[in-house]
Amino acid sequence: MAIGVKVMKRPEREMSYVRAALKGMALTFKHMLQPKVTMQYPEERSTADERGSYAVAPRWRGTHRMLADEQGRSKCVACGLCPQICPANCIKLVPGEDEEGNRYPLIYEIDEFRCVFCGYCQEVCPEEAIHVGVHFENAEYSRDRFVYDLERLTSQTHQVSSLWDPADVRGQ
Amino acid sequence: MSDLVNVTIDGVQISVPKGTPIIEAAKQAGVLVPHYCYHPSLPSPAVCRMCLVEVEKAPKLVPACVTTVADGNVIHVNNDKSKRARESVLEFLLINHPLDCPICDQAGECELQDYTFQEGRAGTRYGDYAKRYNPVEDFGPDVLYVANRCILCTRCVRFMDNVAGDAVLNVSERGDRAFIGIDPDHKLDHPWAGNVVDLCPVGSLISKDFLHKARAWDLDKTASVCTGCTQGCNTMIDTRDDVVVRLRPRPNLDVNRHFICDEGRSDYRWMNRGDRIEAPLVREGGKLTPTDWTQALDRLGAAVKAARRVVILASGRASTESLGFVRRMVDGASVTAAIKVPLGAEAPLAGVPNLALRKERVPNLAGASLAGYGTDWSAALAAAKGADLVVVLDADLDDADVAALSGAAAVAVIGTVDDDRLAGSALILPATNMAEENGTYVNRDHRVQRYFQAKPAPGMARPAWWIAAEATHAARGLAAPATAADAFAALGAMIPALAGLTYSDLGHTGRVVTPNAAGAAR
Repeated sequence: MAIGVKVMKRPEREMSYVRAALKGMALTFKHMLQPKVTMQYPEERSTADERGSYAVAPRWRGTHRMLADEQGRSKCVACGLCPQICPANCIKLVPGEDEEGNRYPLIYEIDEFRCVFCGYCQEVCPEEAIHVGVHFENAEYSRDRFVYDLERLTSQTHQVSSLWDPADVRGQ
Repeated sequence: MSDLVNVTIDGVQISVPKGTPIIEAAKQAGVLVPHYCYHPSLPSPAVCRMCLVEVEKAPKLVPACVTTVADGNVIHVNNDKSKRARESVLEFLLINHPLDCPICDQAGECELQDYTFQEGRAGTRYGDYAKRYNPVEDFGPDVLYVANRCILCTRCVRFMDNVAGDAVLNVSERGDRAFIGIDPDHKLDHPWAGNVVDLCPVGSLISKDFLHKARAWDLDKTASVCTGCTQGCNTMIDTRDDVVVRLRPRPNLDVNRHFICDEGRSDYRWMNRGDRIEAPLVREGGKLTPTDWTQALDRLGAAVKAARRVVILASGRASTESLGFVRRMVDGASVTAAIKVPLGAEAPLAGVPNLALRKERVPNLAGASLAGYGTDWSAALAAAKGADLVVVLDADLDDADVAALSGAAAVAVIGTVDDDRLAGSALILPATNMAEENGTYVNRDHRVQRYFQAKPAPGMARPAWWIAAEATHAARGLAAPATAADAFAALGAMIPALAGLTYSDLGHTGRVVTPNAAGAAR
């Protein structure tokens, strides 16, 4: 060596890896004995009643759901406010009239790919018909399945978003 | 100046003629007095009590629609007292008004909605009471009456009584049971009855034709002129996504006041036709072939140049610009030009002088005669036999007309709608229809009125005046205008009565010209 490098002389006790390895394994074995915290998703899911630290927030804004009345028809009256307010322009609505003279949507489609999940449609709806849902598991085999038609929106059963905390409406 | 009085309205001092109602004086001062029963074209009964305003030194609030201004009046429209009165009136109106704005066709253009939002109470004090309920009633060919929404302003009743002169509506029952009743033996089928839909400030009288078609806030509005007859009523074309969904009257006190007839109102479906010519077609080796405008215009120019005897078969819906430039295109040949004038029954509106659905069902009869077009259709058809060139300008041809064309040496079609019967033509050029171009019509009183483009033209379609002017340029080297405004300004050289006039002279209400005079009537 051209330049002098200082070589430390330490006792064997301090140079051995055995001690460090044992220390690490001790931590590992300690966790084997402690209760499990990992949830085996998707085989295992948190349910609504045991809302632990890993439940989805009730204000989560996910894919839409159309609520239905007692007869199972959608509550939508095709007023046209949701396509008007939608910032992503993802709602298609064609109004019509049924045999009893009630206004209802002939076509109601939401393109979930275009949707930005702002929740304005739910907020603006005067009939409390369209809702964003507490739902995040969206997988399909084709892209066009993400254009939800009225039938699909009505038949979905997931919980709807509460949008804001009822105890703190202004978010303060 | 004894016939003017000075008044102060909300701090604005103005002079208005004696006898002006406060509501009109306020309009001139730039203050809108909220109102329901008042309408400038109807008599005022002062029943809605919405226009109550405070006049200083008057013992109580006065209705602005029937109180005329007096010299030195100090009027408060927007002070606390007047506002509180309006708030109370709105509260009364809303006791029985259903909250069905989401399904109401009027939502977005509803005066009750607007004023409630502007100055109504935020909440209701009548939540415990059941609202009055009456079923929807079918009043006539195009009118539905939704009694629940009615605020009993009686504009419709007064229109039918005093303007249409067909008193089939009244106010039936009294108090909060009152509703608009119709004579059980009659329908609301007066030719002008559709105006009650526009007059209704709320969604109580609604048009069946427009029902659920579009929301008010989806509509684009374009000033236009009705194409139904020679009256030339001013209209508003409402389009949604470039489809015309309804026509409504546009106020013009000199022509149609605030009204249009039902026939004019329903005359918009042709504007949306899908079977349009989209590209210029020229005859190439015996077959019509699509081509570009340069070649098509050269062909038309050459055909025009070669022709000695020309016949123009035009539509009365063509703009004055198009008629003038098509006529100029064939200058130098011996020309027979005619428009087809369908006839129908005349239907006057009794309460407005000089307003009727006219017998001649074309909008530009006077413009065509100014531009040198006759109305003798059969003579023009006879002349077509043996003519060198027949120019068909968007004319609505029946089978006999098409048969007459076979005698001509060549046919050039400047048209909007694809017509298989004209497949033997030498040229077929796509033109815009009336809703797709800027232009003018001249009505029966020689009022020149503008209409504006309401939707885009399909494919390669161009205004007929552009086609004719460019072909003239190709044939004789005359300069071609680039815009409709230029075209109209150049029209003075062809039609002396329009000399010196420009689009800005016409404004939105038009200008009357003297047909035989050279130079504009100014």
